[in-house]
Amino acid sequence: MFARMQRCLSAVAVISVGLCVAYGMPSALGQGTNVFLNVGKQSPITMLINEGPWYEAFASTVQLYERQTSNIVKLDANPYPAMLSKIRNSTRENVSPYDLFSIDDPWTLELYSQDLLEPLKSLDPTFALDSHVYTYDGAPFWNSRLNWRTSNGGVLMTVPINGNFELFFYRDDLFKQAGIRLPTTWDEMVADCPKLQDPPRVYCYVQRGVGAEGFFNPYLRNYGASIVRDPEHGDFTVLVNSPAAKKALDTYVTLAVKYGPPNEAAINQNDMVQLMAAGKVAAMTNVVAVWSSLEDPNNSNVVGKIATAIPPRSRDGAFASRLGNWEAGIPRNIPSERKRASLAFLKWVLSYDAQYQYAVHGGVPVRSDVYRSDLASRPGFGWMKAYLATAPYSYHDLNYLEAPGVANAEAIRINQAIGGQLSTAKALNLLAEDLYKIFLSTGRRTGKLPPLPE
Amino acid sequence: MDAERVARCDPSLAARPTPGVRLGRWADKTFKYWALAPALVLLFGFHLYPLLSLLRLAVSHVSFVGNHVTITFAAMENLRTLANDWIAAAAIKNSLVFVSVAVSVEVVVGFALAILASGLGPGARHYRVVMMLPILVAPVAIGSMWRHLYNFDFGLVNRSLILLHLPPQAWLGSIWLALPAVIAVDIWHWVPLVFLVCLAGLETLPGDILEASRVDGASWWRMLRHIVLPLVWPALSVVLLLRIIGALRVFDEIVLLTSGGPGTATTVLSWYIYQVSFVESRLGYGAMLSIVAILIALGFLVAYNRAKPSHAGAG
Repeated sequence: MFARMQRCLSAVAVISVGLCVAYGMPSALGQGTNVFLNVGKQSPITMLINEGPWYEAFASTVQLYERQTSNIVKLDANPYPAMLSKIRNSTRENVSPYDLFSIDDPWTLELYSQDLLEPLKSLDPTFALDSHVYTYDGAPFWNSRLNWRTSNGGVLMTVPINGNFELFFYRDDLFKQAGIRLPTTWDEMVADCPKLQDPPRVYCYVQRGVGAEGFFNPYLRNYGASIVRDPEHGDFTVLVNSPAAKKALDTYVTLAVKYGPPNEAAINQNDMVQLMAAGKVAAMTNVVAVWSSLEDPNNSNVVGKIATAIPPRSRDGAFASRLGNWEAGIPRNIPSERKRASLAFLKWVLSYDAQYQYAVHGGVPVRSDVYRSDLASRPGFGWMKAYLATAPYSYHDLNYLEAPGVANAEAIRINQAIGGQLSTAKALNLLAEDLYKIFLSTGRRTGKLPPLPE
Repeated sequence: MDAERVARCDPSLAARPTPGVRLGRWADKTFKYWALAPALVLLFGFHLYPLLSLLRLAVSHVSFVGNHVTITFAAMENLRTLANDWIAAAAIKNSLVFVSVAVSVEVVVGFALAILASGLGPGARHYRVVMMLPILVAPVAIGSMWRHLYNFDFGLVNRSLILLHLPPQAWLGSIWLALPAVIAVDIWHWVPLVFLVCLAGLETLPGDILEASRVDGASWWRMLRHIVLPLVWPALSVVLLLRIIGALRVFDEIVLLTSGGPGTATTVLSWYIYQVSFVESRLGYGAMLSIVAILIALGFLVAYNRAKPSHAGAG
């Protein structure tokens, strides 16, 4: 009996030790380890953040930081339209009321070029992004000589906090029911659409009609076209009205007009998500952050029916996914201890365990090792495999200071093409003229192609 | 005896008024200017100074580096941009159409409803309460509500059309329907204001004049044209002016319903000024567009003043 007791106790001891080891095992095993980065005692800070789909996940991560470290991070959540004005006003005051900003990727150009953010290495010369952290086509870096975001000669200005880019979302059940294989080219998608199209019950595809430039521009890359020739090296020759660009816009408009809901010209990003969540649409390309809305049983009729993949390309073209990542930056005009506290928080946020928890709560993590962890196999995280596969093709398309004007011009002309006001050729020709004028007015080296036949 | 009486009795004293007398006379002479001074300070501080600053920005290029702003003279550049800006031309055209159609319908419908309600006697106060509701709703709620009403698949408007065996419409997605759809929302929002002001004006009409004209055999139309309208005109003209200014400034409905689209079908000046100034950060050119908006408003004011009937308010 004593021997049996000894064996039982030994078994309990072994199991206990095993549990402790497993619990404390480093991230190589792919699980969250609950061993978080020790950043020490820091001053309380206030962060300006967007009320986007990933806000709740980030807020949960902040609560975890506060519990782990006893440091305080106050989040000031704002709707998207208010964010840029608040950042501009804060950075131009004597002392900013905010110690950290969440910055939508396009805004970094303005903030970097106007020297409104603190370079992170000036706070800690040893700080660098971990090799597993995605750099999202150079977004955290600024090369002031080239006026370009690149790690090549660029200074580290921000860190990514939400890794948003576009994925292909589709109704796996409808595709299987129609006997359709996952399309890898737009030609396949267009050819498959008649099998999925059943209006008004279900539309094959929904495109973004309002503010469409972000969703259209990857089509340009898919078809081997571009907006300008080589902006990184100063060549802003307008190429948006090339024959390849016309093929791209023809495909975009065909999917929108022929296989989309009738009011495509009025559809914005929220409408796309609503239509998909209501089960009215079989496929769309959208940012990965909308996944949580589609899987929310309180707001979606299609929970468990959505799958994700790399967005299709043209037959001979490249895959492409436009980046919409968010960065976190520290303003110059705050006291040093708050800058250090902000950097400490960012270091913690970028750690594997913090990013793992961020993903668990519905965020879009910025570390590749989290996408390779056990999370990717769990129900509800199926999008992670598509994310990992798409990441090498993610890119920034409007990487220059004229981006807001270019984006507005594109949005209008693409919308006019979708609404039937202009043919695709005329829309691109007029767009080329609009962009040429913009680049001339800003003193860029520019030119244009002969107009497409209309 | 005061100083003046002394001076009359003894002329030698009139030649040498005391400092106190001189100060008193000067104060009397300039009092009207001193009395105006506080109002002038307010006028300059809250109206002229901002306007002058806007004019300065309108002829400048504004750039920021760090905390420093650089303002360089660029009048010709901004004017050239304005002359070649097709979106600004579309925005001005849409704004003029919006003001003309929306305000005309609001005034006619609001006045007609007020006439109908005034005939109800004490019962009119119930209509007053109901009609006030759209004015009380926040603009964001109005935009959200109407966006859902106009929704192609789920909206009540299209559902009603389907029940009537009519085809559903892309209200906010059609270049032909989008602007009328937004104007309809504006009319729904502001007819109650016209109604309330006109009803208040109608309720103050002297009943004996109307009774006398009825006894004399005047038709309904003649009473309306020659008696009611001239007497109600002061109230009506105020609400007409307010609505012209309000319609020129329309922004909430555009942002929430269409974002200026499809294409530029609903791009109005206020929306375009916002895009240029705050999205594209071209403050100088945005100020130039603001000056254009002010000039258009002034044009309406001048036209309104000239169109005012000379017999307005006569009993």
